[in-house]
Amino acid sequence: MSDSQIKPQLSFGQALAGFKNLPNWLQSMINATSGMLILLLVWWIGGILISANPDTEAFAAFAPEATFSALWYLIETGSIWETIYSSLSRIISGLFWGVVIGVPTGVLVGYFLMFRQIANMPFQFLRMISPLAWMPIAVLAFETWDSAIVFLLAMATIWPIVFGTAHGVQRIDPNWFQVARNLGADGYQMLRRVIMPAIAQDVFAGIRLAIGVAWVVLVPAEYLGVTSGLGYAINDARDTLEYDTLAAVVVVIGVIGYLLDFIAVTLIKRYSWHVE
Amino acid sequence: MTTKASSVWISDLSHTFKKQTKPTLKNINLTIPKGQLTALIGRSGCGKSTLLQMLAGLLIPSDGAVRINAHTVTKPSAKWNMMFQKPSLYPWMTVRENAALGLVFSGTYKAKQDRVETLLEMVGLAEHKDKNVQQLSGGQQQRVALARSLATEPEILLLDEPFSALDAFTRTQLQNEVAEICHNQGITMVMVTHDIDEAVAMADKVVIMSQNPGEIVGEMEVNLTYPRDRSVDEFISLKEKLFNEFEKIDIAKQNSINEDNL
Ligand SMILES: Nc1ncnc2c1ncn2[C@@H]1O[C@H](COP(=O)(O)OP(=O)(O)OP(=O)(O)O)[C@@H](O)[C@H]1O
Ligand SMILES: [Mg+2]
Repeated sequence: MSDSQIKPQLSFGQALAGFKNLPNWLQSMINATSGMLILLLVWWIGGILISANPDTEAFAAFAPEATFSALWYLIETGSIWETIYSSLSRIISGLFWGVVIGVPTGVLVGYFLMFRQIANMPFQFLRMISPLAWMPIAVLAFETWDSAIVFLLAMATIWPIVFGTAHGVQRIDPNWFQVARNLGADGYQMLRRVIMPAIAQDVFAGIRLAIGVAWVVLVPAEYLGVTSGLGYAINDARDTLEYDTLAAVVVVIGVIGYLLDFIAVTLIKRYSWHVE
Repeated sequence: MTTKASSVWISDLSHTFKKQTKPTLKNINLTIPKGQLTALIGRSGCGKSTLLQMLAGLLIPSDGAVRINAHTVTKPSAKWNMMFQKPSLYPWMTVRENAALGLVFSGTYKAKQDRVETLLEMVGLAEHKDKNVQQLSGGQQQRVALARSLATEPEILLLDEPFSALDAFTRTQLQNEVAEICHNQGITMVMVTHDIDEAVAMADKVVIMSQNPGEIVGEMEVNLTYPRDRSVDEFISLKEKLFNEFEKIDIAKQNSINEDNL
């Protein structure tokens, strides 16, 4: 027997088998962490390649180190909070209108066949229009840039919320209404105890999609007119060639987007009533 | 024989659905004795569910009326409660929440909380009361529906083929339990079924319906004590009698319809 055979060696196959034996939550945490590490690695390599190439050398500040120190600076000086606040309040206003208009519309579309037949074509048509395409109209129709952006965000959020709500309403078992009526429910109780819990998860699923679209639309919408928000910060950093700040804002956009999605997923789970 | 106190009167009830020319129900007259179980049997499509929905106030007859204890039924009420073929529980609620729903609607849950617990115990679900209803078997779900119907203390319980989706053992067990509840608690029950065995096992009175249009064509008293032994000759001969009666009337009616159509 040679020495190398005596030395305990962990083969890849054994490691994989050991990994599979770990509890599920630990596996998923390890996987998630590796995903982030891979992303950082690719970014880091990209940064090295950029600074190594004389043609792109000027953009070296996009690399992780520069970005994170710029990010730290933004946090330390506190300037990022105001930027985030502006963007978030626009998102929330847009989402507010999306919900206020989208949920009742979705209920009508889901509940009444006639409404569904009438609305289907126009809604599918409107849905496919990029919210940004409304920009010129929004600018004409609204006095401030801010309200124009909120309008764009509302246009982006309405459709997923309408379709999510309608889907939820269509899944309602008609017997649930009959049983509730039979047990003496009035209109408000029917809404509160039957309709709302029945559709909540689908409404939140719609809101989740809406947040995704709105967050994507927000940044280009903020390139125009306004002097606050994450989109503005990106545009401003580009104009002043502060690429590290630009990249830092991109990171902030990603992190907040992730957190918003996380909140939506938590709500979906909270209101989901399907037992898996 | 003493006359029994009646709690439901159906008088000259006819019904034609919208956009239909022929009536679904025609000239129904029936009194349902208080505190007893009345079974409604008939072929599929003869209008049993339609009639039951009218007793529940979920459907208003185009002619005639249903009166319950001197009230004309015009809308649903927790006092006359319907239990459907499917349990139709609310999947986002626990067993207890489902059973308590009628009390929540009437704003009396706080005061009558104990009643829900007692009922869940009675239907054998005490240990499952905090489970989501989706974790229960079909028979257990139907028991939750039964507890939910009984929680509002209905004077009348209407049952539309409540056991037809259950396996034979669970069905037999629930049949006996429900008949017992009816007589112990003095709740008037009207049950639709097309199972002759079920009708004879549970009912004090069986009402026979025929179709095209739905009419009441016969009645049969079942004077057997509870719990009923289904293997005794008396039970079996009553079943045969009911079956023969049903066939005779049904065939006679089909013949007369065919003659009319000639
Ligand atoms: N909403 C409605 N509109 C029109 N016709 C209806 C409606 N509901 C029931 N019917 C018709 O009325 C007749 C009686 O229906 P019903 O459901 O009362 O029958 P049933 O005796 O309960 O049958 P089953 O034993 O199959 O449940 C059927 O011919 C049915 O097609
Ligand atoms: Mg029926």
